[in-house]
Amino acid sequence: MEGDEEDMVFFGTPITREEDITTTRKKKSVAEASGQLRTLPPWKQEVSAATSLTRTLTDENKDSFQVRDEEGRRRFHGAFSGGYSAGYYNTVGSKAGWAPQTFTSSRKNRAEIKQQNIFNFLDDDEKSELEADSLGTSMQFDTFGFTAAELARLQAENEQQQRPSAIPGPIPDEVVLPATDSIGVKLLLKMGWRHGHSIKDSHTNSLYDARREARKAFLALSAKDASTQLAAPEQVEVDLEDVKELPSDINQYSESTPVYVLNPKQDLHGLGFDPFRNAPEFRGRTAPGFGIGALEELDAEDEDVYASGYAFEENYVQEIEEPSRLAIENKKMSGEKGDGALPGFKIASNSDYQLERFAPPVIPKDFVPHHKFPAHLEVNYKLADVPPVEVPPPADNNLKVLAEGVATLVARCGKLFEDLSREKNQSNPLFSFLNGGNGHDYYSRKLWEERQKRNDQTEQQSNGNMFPSAKKMTAESRGEILGEKPLERSTRVLSSSASSADTSSLQFNLSDTFTNPAPFTEPQEIAKPFRDDPAKQERFEQYLKDKYRGGLRSKDSGGASNMSEAARARERLEFETAADAIQKGKWGSESRPANQQLLDLSTATGLQFTSAGVEQAGVGQAQEMTMKGMYPKREEFQWRPSPVLCKRFDLLDPYMGKPPPAPRMRSKMDSLIFMPDSVKDAKVEETAALRKDLFSESKEVTDVEAEVEVEAENVERPVDLYKAIFSDDSDEEEENSNLNQVEDPQKKVEVVNTTLSRLIAGDFLESLGKELGLEVPPDVSGLENKAGISSIYKENANANKGDISSRSAVSGSYADQGVPQGKTYNREASQVTVSDKHEGLDVNTYRSSNKTADPDSFLEKSGKVKLEKVVQEDKNAKTPMGKRGWSSGSSDDETSRRKSSSRHRRRSSNSDGETTDSSDDYRDRYHSRSKGTKKRSSRDHSSSKKHSKHRKHRSGDSSSRSSRHGSEKDHREAHREKRKWKE
Amino acid sequence: MSAGNLPTKEANVLKGHEGAVLAARFNADGNYCLSCGKDRTIRLWNPHRGIHIKTYKSHGREVRDVHVTSDNSKLCSCGGDRQVFYWDVASGRVIRKFRGHDSEVNAVKFNEYASVVVSAGYDRSLRAWDCRSHSTEPIQIIDTFLDSVMSIGLTKSEIIAGSVDGTVRTFDMRIGREISDDLGQPVNCISLSNDGNCILASCLDSTLRLLDRSSGELLQEYKGHTCKSFKMDCCLTNTDAHVTGGSEDGSVFFWDLVDASVVSNFRAHASVCVPVAKREAMEGHSS
Repeated sequence: MEGDEEDMVFFGTPITREEDITTTRKKKSVAEASGQLRTLPPWKQEVSAATSLTRTLTDENKDSFQVRDEEGRRRFHGAFSGGYSAGYYNTVGSKAGWAPQTFTSSRKNRAEIKQQNIFNFLDDDEKSELEADSLGTSMQFDTFGFTAAELARLQAENEQQQRPSAIPGPIPDEVVLPATDSIGVKLLLKMGWRHGHSIKDSHTNSLYDARREARKAFLALSAKDASTQLAAPEQVEVDLEDVKELPSDINQYSESTPVYVLNPKQDLHGLGFDPFRNAPEFRGRTAPGFGIGALEELDAEDEDVYASGYAFEENYVQEIEEPSRLAIENKKMSGEKGDGALPGFKIASNSDYQLERFAPPVIPKDFVPHHKFPAHLEVNYKLADVPPVEVPPPADNNLKVLAEGVATLVARCGKLFEDLSREKNQSNPLFSFLNGGNGHDYYSRKLWEERQKRNDQTEQQSNGNMFPSAKKMTAESRGEILGEKPLERSTRVLSSSASSADTSSLQFNLSDTFTNPAPFTEPQEIAKPFRDDPAKQERFEQYLKDKYRGGLRSKDSGGASNMSEAARARERLEFETAADAIQKGKWGSESRPANQQLLDLSTATGLQFTSAGVEQAGVGQAQEMTMKGMYPKREEFQWRPSPVLCKRFDLLDPYMGKPPPAPRMRSKMDSLIFMPDSVKDAKVEETAALRKDLFSESKEVTDVEAEVEVEAENVERPVDLYKAIFSDDSDEEEENSNLNQVEDPQKKVEVVNTTLSRLIAGDFLESLGKELGLEVPPDVSGLENKAGISSIYKENANANKGDISSRSAVSGSYADQGVPQGKTYNREASQVTVSDKHEGLDVNTYRSSNKTADPDSFLEKSGKVKLEKVVQEDKNAKTPMGKRGWSSGSSDDETSRRKSSSRHRRRSSNSDGETTDSSDDYRDRYHSRSKGTKKRSSRDHSSSKKHSKHRKHRSGDSSSRSSRHGSEKDHREAHREKRKWKE
Repeated sequence: MSAGNLPTKEANVLKGHEGAVLAARFNADGNYCLSCGKDRTIRLWNPHRGIHIKTYKSHGREVRDVHVTSDNSKLCSCGGDRQVFYWDVASGRVIRKFRGHDSEVNAVKFNEYASVVVSAGYDRSLRAWDCRSHSTEPIQIIDTFLDSVMSIGLTKSEIIAGSVDGTVRTFDMRIGREISDDLGQPVNCISLSNDGNCILASCLDSTLRLLDRSSGELLQEYKGHTCKSFKMDCCLTNTDAHVTGGSEDGSVFFWDLVDASVVSNFRAHASVCVPVAKREAMEGHSS
């Protein structure tokens, strides 16, 4: 058997018997239990199995039949015995075959998911090969921190293997942070650089490429016929531009041009020369910290903060200049060493070039580094001197001439000259008059005269300088030219009681006027409060200049940079007071106009922060006492805290259970009231234009109307309109009382202005009503307005004989124009005034009831008005008495509705005939009013708005006065009615 | 406290800000102090030992005001970036940012329970922000002011604010009223007396005015210092015996409360017993 077995050759795997299989299985299970099998690589497992199966084969046989690689691993498996490296071992990677390795059920083994990388597919030897190829930087030059990161990772892995941790498996890279990350990398990353990219700026390159392409195309287009010779220089030029465009880093030069062409060697350094070796920049100098991140924006204030601290520019190495300078240094150094001399030469023992140094001149201790001009000062000092007695000239003509000459010279050049000449001619008997000798009296007299003369001249000069500034246009004169009404500075307004009426009337005045503060005259040369310290004086002048020029002050002006902050601040305060004093006229001339001085006073009192400077200027210092009496004044308003706020403050909401607040009117008011001044200007111009329109075109009223309307639509919302609507009526009443004095023409003019603005306001009111979604009480036709205005204007013209103000003069001229047209109006005007006189007072009732009302209540009320109107219409329909009134009233209502719906239609429908109709209607209504009080008052209320416009002229009218008493009763009655309503 | 006990020189100089200091505030018990300034940082100090404890950085512009809760756990700050920041003191993190002001925010204050931050802005408004909820919307906007609101004072039930329009307005939450005291001069800074009965208002005409809260009367005027263009802090001393305020020339003034005489006046940056701003001297730097 033995020999047989030896002779026989077995191919393939023999069929194993059952026991064998079980034993191998057993073995396998044992090996698995011991953990041995898992540790073994798959090929070893198979080999051990194979060996167990082919136990009979000798080692030699095994070698001959099994193909193995140099590592001893089996190459062929199973049925394959040919020349193919077959089987799954080195290909698929698993016994399961091509089962997708990437898929793992995430339900059970989440932690086992790992990413494949190339090392999963490499053998150990291949890995080692790869590692041998890879280059690492030594820690010292590890700019990007790769090596450090790798090392850290490896170490962490080692540690992980050594001791168990909470997280099984290999440590992800994110956990292990690189130990070092240099600032350069951080900066680069912030600038958009990523690992693996070159630092070269691709953007400029692409830009450059694009440009070159464009240039090429241009060339091709423009110079098709040109020879190629032209193209060559162009190419050079392009390259040159390349040089310009690219930053001066050698690494970034384009490959087309060699570095030595771009940057030819111009120095004499040899190979291996390092220009930075001895550079002072690298001699242990520490870089200053950065105050601001690289990507943060610098605005002006930031620069202001940090500019003084650091000078960043100095920290850069200046690559262009540095080498040459260093080269010289190097040469010197080598020269000093003595071994740098060329063969055949020897170093000179003494250089022929030596710097000659001179000692600085010695400055005397009492030297003051400022030049003084004694002559100039002299003039001023001597002014106050008592003139010497007049003396007859000395007999000696020669002496007289000499004395006079010297006196003139001294007067011109100052005392210094006198001293000099005295010194010089001490021995000369001719000049004894200088020392109090012969003719001294005459000399001193002459000197005084000369000085006097010179002073006069300088004064004249300075006056001459001052005249143009004095003649400069003042605010008033300019206003006169522009046709403004001058700001009222009368005591009547200012000294009146501290009511709100006062301020509002002031505001009212302001809204009608605009005045610019007169330009400050340049500070005079005479003003020198710091004579004794010229440097300080200089700073002071600089300060003044800055002040009047306005804008931001430069931080360290003049030579004050060496002063401490506190000292500078103190000096500034000093300057301020000095400047104030100058403005007050202590140093300055007295020839300035009065209002300008007032302005100065206002600035002196420190009102720079107030916006309405002109108004405050009018108040001035004289009013400060009254101001003190006025302030502080207390006002109380309603304020509604939000429930959440109350909750957070642990308080009960005082408005708990009450309905939510009405939509706020305030924001709208705000936006209107805080309009820039230009609005006012626009308004003034606008009203002027209006007036022109009104009075120049006397033929067709409707045309005028249209124009007015167009104008009115363009009007930016006038401020006083809102006051007319929402503010209490105390100011109006005051105006009323003023109106009664017909002698006050200026007031009248004002009234006209207000009526005009009301005219505009009427239109605007409607638009506002639309905005708020309300029906606005119907407007009175503009014709009546016009009539009223024209009558007023007429009166105006009569009363207006003098030249009270520019405005009145202008209106007077208007009135002149308007005379013929006023006649036509006269009839209507009388009608209107008759019919309106009662209603005018009803307006007052409305207003007084509205006294404390805020916008919300106003809204409610107007809503009520609307309701009432409907009710009243119903009543009208029932009562036979008001039949006519009803019909006309309804038509009136209809027209009003039409008006509110479309303005243009209303305008066109408002002809002369209708106006009279409506006035008739008013009269009728008045009659019916005497019967049904309720109805009347409601009607009045509804029409109160429109009559507010007429109130002015009506009350001014003399005819209305007769029935004033009776209407007063009506007023009271209506007032009571109002109260009822309210309740 | 007699005049002799008033500080006459700085106890400590806290250095560290890289720009002008715009406000300095003590905490409730006076052991710590916060400062903020143009370098966009808020710094926490121990002023008694002169130690810089922490820096809070997050503001994008200058920080104009800072306030700390009475339990020292939270900060609020505001500044030129139009936002109100709500900080955690210990971690130095911003918990919330309240946006809504239309321009720079001049002053912030916590209420007593640290549940609401009230801020005053250049946009003429006063806004109250809720710290408890996650909403960043203001729970109350008060915009009755006619000009920039400069300073805030809070009591248990009232919000008091001073504005450049010359008014000191008190908003009483219990009765739902706004009381406006017009001083006629731009109000720079307001400060409540310790008994809560008076308001000290610093006006831009170089005058401090003491108002009676209940009647609105002007009780006293304190003059002698200079305050024309900068926001200068003022307050009463802890005993309400003296009024103190800064001047633009870098000095700190003390007045007697009753007869308004200048008791003490020294050139300094810091005053220790009262949270008067110590920014005067640095002001020159920024202007």
